[in-house]
Amino acid sequence: MTFLKKSRDGEIFVDHRASPGIPAELARKFGYHPDQVKEGAIFEAPTLGCPHCGANVVINPLRTRARAHCYRCNAYVCDWCDAAMHEPDYVHRTIKEIRELVASGNWELSGTMHRPILRKIGGN
Amino acid sequence: MAKRIFTSAALTFTAAAAGSAITTVSSYMALKGGSGTQTIDVLEVLVSGKATASTVAAMELARASTLETTLTTLAAPHSDGPAHPATAALAAPALPFVTAATHPTPSNTVTDAKLNLALNLFGGIIRWNASPTQQWTIVGNTAPGGESLLWNSSTAGGSTGLADAHILYEPY
Repeated sequence: MTFLKKSRDGEIFVDHRASPGIPAELARKFGYHPDQVKEGAIFEAPTLGCPHCGANVVINPLRTRARAHCYRCNAYVCDWCDAAMHEPDYVHRTIKEIRELVASGNWELSGTMHRPILRKIGGN
Repeated sequence: MAKRIFTSAALTFTAAAAGSAITTVSSYMALKGGSGTQTIDVLEVLVSGKATASTVAAMELARASTLETTLTTLAAPHSDGPAHPATAALAAPALPFVTAATHPTPSNTVTDAKLNLALNLFGGIIRWNASPTQQWTIVGNTAPGGESLLWNSSTAGGSTGLADAHILYEPY
């Protein structure tokens, strides 16, 4: 199926054009660059889901480094999952597959969502 | 099975601590499952500030770690209705509310998700729109997954302020 890459975008929109904005110290605490939410600023960024860990990622418009892509999912993946993909013992599993395995009752999940460890627990 | 919009008008979002029951009436927007098996997808949250002086609010969408008791049915000027006028009523409609006999407790559990929607309520606007499959989901009607609330977190450094807000959601 063909699709526009943008069709997978969510959106975060923060408008301080008519507002004094968020002070720099608090902006950093909330995860913004202070310039993005200062007086008169408008911050608009797409958000994307990572199909491997299920995280929702705000796509930083100031980023210049390349973003990761999974060619098996044909989708964006987050930096943490990209790092895991380059490890020699990596097994490709999407969050949907992991959810189905755990829901079957035969698998136990531990580790992190970027490096999930699935252990078979049932007799099946 | 149809999108609905829960809107609050001129609500003073009193800053309150995570992990403790909210103590101020009409200072949050909560959405609770209508039955033990209901799923609700939250698709969009918008907050538009109406404070008359600079007020940084740490608005968050969070799970309720302890549910309210005896919620008060939503009344004007707040509203909740279908986005499409020809929407059939659900057998167990979702329960939007802004006050209750005992208010819900916004979760302070590290493994419960929170959505950061901080802004300056003096003229600021924030809108979060979920990407496909990344919606915020409420399941059932028990804590913590069965109820979520949009509130102003003093734990995250928020200050009390006036705002309008809406939550676009789809119950199943």
